Amino acid sequence: MTITIYINGKREILECQPGDMLTEVLRKAGYVEVKKGCDTASCGACTVLIEDKPVLSCSYLAVRADGKRITTIQGVAEEAKKFAQFLTAEGADQCGFCAPGFALTVLSMKKELRNPSEAEIRHYLSGNLCRCSGYEGQIRAIKKYLEAVHD
Amino acid sequence: MEIREYARPKSMDEAMHLIHEEHGTAIGGSAWLRTNTKTVMLGVDLSDLGLEYIREFQDHIEIGAMTTYRELETSLLLASRFGKIFSTAVGHIVGIQLRSIITVGGTVAGRYGFSDLNTTLCALGARVVFYPNIEEDLASFIEKGYAGPFLIEKIILPSSARAAYQQMRISENDFPIINTAVAWMGTEWRVAAGSRPAAARLCRNAMKILADSANPSNEQIEAAAQESSKELQFGSDIRASATYRQKILPVLVRRALLEVRG
Amino acid sequence: MIDNFDSIPPADSKTLKATQKFNVIAHDIAKIDGEGLVLGRPAFADDLAPANALYVKLVRSPHAFARIISIDPSEALALPGVACVLTWKDCPRVPITRAGQGNPEPSPHDRFILDEYVRYVGDEVAVVAAEDEATAEKAAMLVKVQYEVLQPVLDFEKALDNPIVIHPEPEIHEMFPIGFEPKRNIAAAYNMEIGNVEQELAKSPVQVETTVHTQAQQHVALEPHTAFSYIDIHGRLVIVTSTQNPWHTRRLLALALQMPLRQIRIIKPRIGGGFGGKQHIHIEPYVAMVTLKTGKPARLALTRREVFEATFTRHEMRVKVRLGANSDGKLNAIDMQVLSNTGAYGEHALTVFMVAGSKTLPLYNKVNAVRFGGHVVYTNKVSAGAFRGYGAIQGLTGLESAMDELAHKIGIDPVELRRKNMIHEGETSDVFRIMGEGTEGVAMTIESCKLEECIARGKELIGWNPDRLVWEVAPGKVRAMGMAIAMQGSGLPLIDMGSARIEFQDGGFFKLHVGATDLGTGSDTILAQIAAEELGVDVESIVVYSSDTDNTPFDVGAYASSTTYVSGSAVVKAARSLKKKLIEAVAQKFGVDPAFVIFDNKTFKTLNGSKSLSLYDFSFDTLYHDGERMKTIEATESFTGAKSPPPYLAGFVEIELDKETGKVEVIHYVSVADVGTPINPNLATIQIEGAALQGIGLALYEDVRYSERGHMLSHNLMTYAIPSREDVGRITVELVDSYEPSGPFGAKSAGEIGIDTPPAAISNAIRNAIGIRLTDYPFTPERVLMAIDKAKTEGAN
Repeated sequence: MTITIYINGKREILECQPGDMLTEVLRKAGYVEVKKGCDTASCGACTVLIEDKPVLSCSYLAVRADGKRITTIQGVAEEAKKFAQFLTAEGADQCGFCAPGFALTVLSMKKELRNPSEAEIRHYLSGNLCRCSGYEGQIRAIKKYLEAVHD
Repeated sequence: MEIREYARPKSMDEAMHLIHEEHGTAIGGSAWLRTNTKTVMLGVDLSDLGLEYIREFQDHIEIGAMTTYRELETSLLLASRFGKIFSTAVGHIVGIQLRSIITVGGTVAGRYGFSDLNTTLCALGARVVFYPNIEEDLASFIEKGYAGPFLIEKIILPSSARAAYQQMRISENDFPIINTAVAWMGTEWRVAAGSRPAAARLCRNAMKILADSANPSNEQIEAAAQESSKELQFGSDIRASATYRQKILPVLVRRALLEVRG
Repeated sequence: MIDNFDSIPPADSKTLKATQKFNVIAHDIAKIDGEGLVLGRPAFADDLAPANALYVKLVRSPHAFARIISIDPSEALALPGVACVLTWKDCPRVPITRAGQGNPEPSPHDRFILDEYVRYVGDEVAVVAAEDEATAEKAAMLVKVQYEVLQPVLDFEKALDNPIVIHPEPEIHEMFPIGFEPKRNIAAAYNMEIGNVEQELAKSPVQVETTVHTQAQQHVALEPHTAFSYIDIHGRLVIVTSTQNPWHTRRLLALALQMPLRQIRIIKPRIGGGFGGKQHIHIEPYVAMVTLKTGKPARLALTRREVFEATFTRHEMRVKVRLGANSDGKLNAIDMQVLSNTGAYGEHALTVFMVAGSKTLPLYNKVNAVRFGGHVVYTNKVSAGAFRGYGAIQGLTGLESAMDELAHKIGIDPVELRRKNMIHEGETSDVFRIMGEGTEGVAMTIESCKLEECIARGKELIGWNPDRLVWEVAPGKVRAMGMAIAMQGSGLPLIDMGSARIEFQDGGFFKLHVGATDLGTGSDTILAQIAAEELGVDVESIVVYSSDTDNTPFDVGAYASSTTYVSGSAVVKAARSLKKKLIEAVAQKFGVDPAFVIFDNKTFKTLNGSKSLSLYDFSFDTLYHDGERMKTIEATESFTGAKSPPPYLAGFVEIELDKETGKVEVIHYVSVADVGTPINPNLATIQIEGAALQGIGLALYEDVRYSERGHMLSHNLMTYAIPSREDVGRITVELVDSYEPSGPFGAKSAGEIGIDTPPAAISNAIRNAIGIRLTDYPFTPERVLMAIDKAKTEGAN
């Protein structure tokens, strides 16, 4: 069957099977910034925004996305570059496999939470696993980023 | 999961027809479908039925079956009526990206052992409404299931309760080893325990010990806590043994009761 | 649950002396690939695979031990879109090892790409390729395999001399003596003794014996193992793969596929974490077989479950440590006896086991006698392989637990016990000379060791008070502290070799080609910093290309904490050599002696200032303008360490322990490390932070569990939870000023050392909290509570 989605502002008509999850369909269509890390809805690497809400594309039926607005990290590239400056300034980008999904969730958090405490930051982002950084460098980067963009 | 045919009905009647007559399989949150190796002949997507809501009525609250965990967690209405119990109970399930997908109806329908939410709903005395308009006690549905195909429309909660949730996990993103929710309903106490690792059950004997006082004594609380581990069955899995579960349930029940009583 | 993360503020970045000394080194340069990675630009093998590649799926064994009676691929082959089904009969009968190690490998050649026997659940049985993924999956399920199911050996304590022999095949062999005795289920064995340990123990007024059992652990690099292959225009096999060691991969593949080395090219793109988990050939043989058979490109991305069930884990070990000391705490003897579980195959069997001694025992170098020995045994579980810490973490967990037991017995501050006995600058240990990686070691004198400073600063940061190592915070809840120290190495001396080539380009920039493999740690950036510092230019002037067996010079790869020290030293040499050549070329142009030319601020000048030429202009001169003098100016240099200077670390932990439930939470973990000069302090810090959390995961949460029949139960991230963002309160890492004379700009390694201390430090904190030494990792709430209950019962009796 075919679905029509509006991805990063672009209308795409894509082929899929009813049981296909959005991750595979997006990757096949060239949106390889959507990563596949775990197969069990555990790691957050496949995060995309659907109608501006962060969701796991690995756990979202592609057919259900029919007619919906989807944003990958490439759709918010300018903001992402800004955040990348803070993340790389701490060296916390590391292997970067989880980074697109993680950064997208950070940008979402920035919109949703006002002056979050560290506990709130950690809680909001707890679905984005990272095995490289130990999370501390990411926290330092996020705090500095939020401070800078709020000023 | 392989899905041969897909339908996204626009009305409850149509959905009910597909499930009842065409042997369709209801698709709620759709999470974890990919880990399922079953083949479904007809997948019935419930996302266009307008079942995503939390509404307040004079003497109760209704939660649509397709309401996501994220909505429960962030609902100001639920927080004002039940305190932090929803955000505490579901807040540690993987991450917001998953909680924005998984639904109340899917969780109740699945009667999952590991569920944090079903334990909470049992303690709050929730009722489940099967379309069309068949209402049942949620705890007894979790225990006994439903004969034949069904379609959950909504969950009904009392207007308010003082409640608390306690759980034990090896690490924060893991599934619980054991969990409990307790609630003072205004006239009675309710105590439920789940992830035993089997599904949630009410601790009826413990509830009797607490009786109808909003301020049970420490002795009553301790007795009820101890009773909770005697009246339920526990099993072993990779996370913990039955012995451990049985040992710490009273600790969690006591802590939850003290949290509510103050 | 930790809900107040703000109670311990994140560490302020401390100024290091080295930062003032250098222009680029010891500066926090942002990773050169960082922005591209955050934006998700195509970078990883699976992002880059050609659209027409066949999808490869593996048929895997459902049995822990079995002989394959027959394989019937007919139904699978009948499925439209299926390109091939390959079995052990399609493979050369050549025993290999999958371990990415030097040549000859210290691992036994005890494995075939595909074999008639399968030795663990998940072992490869057949290779299926099809035009799309769903068809490949379906076809894999349609391959009919008949097995003769054999009785497995699952308990590593029962493997030695078990009547069931896991490797009876006659062709397998060791490459040089490693104690390989497959008939006894021994993959490797080793024993050594310096002095007379029994005598020294007997003489010692205080003795302790501590045994710990550390479990297998999964690496969980976020990117699963992924590769694709194709035949290039010259008919050569090209494999783009998530590997830590392209050259070893090429060499091992050539053997496995019986191909000439020159016919294979390995390219490592960006890879999503390694931790040792990609230091092996897990997937490359299978895509290669399909491409060779069909002539078509082939791709394989393991599922997370396959990564868990069928790549490698950390070696499970039982470590028994006996210490003998005087009543003032002076250590006389250490005896460490180890049993290690290598699983179905012997990759890294000997070397991981050796490191349990060789990178731990020298910490306490003032003993009169030291002994190390034991066996590495086969079992029918998934193989163990390289994993950050590589034996040191297991050995240290035993040693540092025993040290705290000794401190308790004597009644002194565990910190002081260590200070009394630990190694210092200018000292050595016979262990360095005697124990190497499968061969004899290399004697060395320690030229940089700031353990005293690490310990002093760690005490400050955690608030160490030996009189108050446990205190109550609420009824039934206590806080407690513990600590441990560690050392690691920096590459394998006289075994690891890395090289670098730097070429001067028009426009005045430099191409830096290195064989070293960046796993996401930032080594490309670090090597660029080293080149920039030595050349006297900025990092932007260096363009890095790495890890391509056709286009970059040789490097053994990223393992054994080698990249900064070994590959980095090669870069220093290449840059130095290139700079000399540049000056010589300019001197010739100026018509002066090279001694009179200086290069500064991207400009060449004669000493008297009479002549001057910009780097930019000279780059065009040498390539386009200078007639007969025109030439490419480049330098290639190699480095192998004559020693392996250890980095050192002191780890301190504050835990909260709930005595009613057994739950242990890490409130604060402090790691203070001596890594020599950190080339990039941020990246070194993050290595240590990430390693600390991985070590905490091992100590408290992570466990590889099997059913009684050998099926892995913890085979995905739902059943094997790694630490999340909310598990640990705060990890504070600091680096102390240190300078290693043998390293590039004073650097040692930073990649592994951070993982070594948490298991012992947490064990020591729990010991302080409840008076009980837990010995079986991980310390789950259940294990802690059961230990408390057991102690209560025993106390009552």
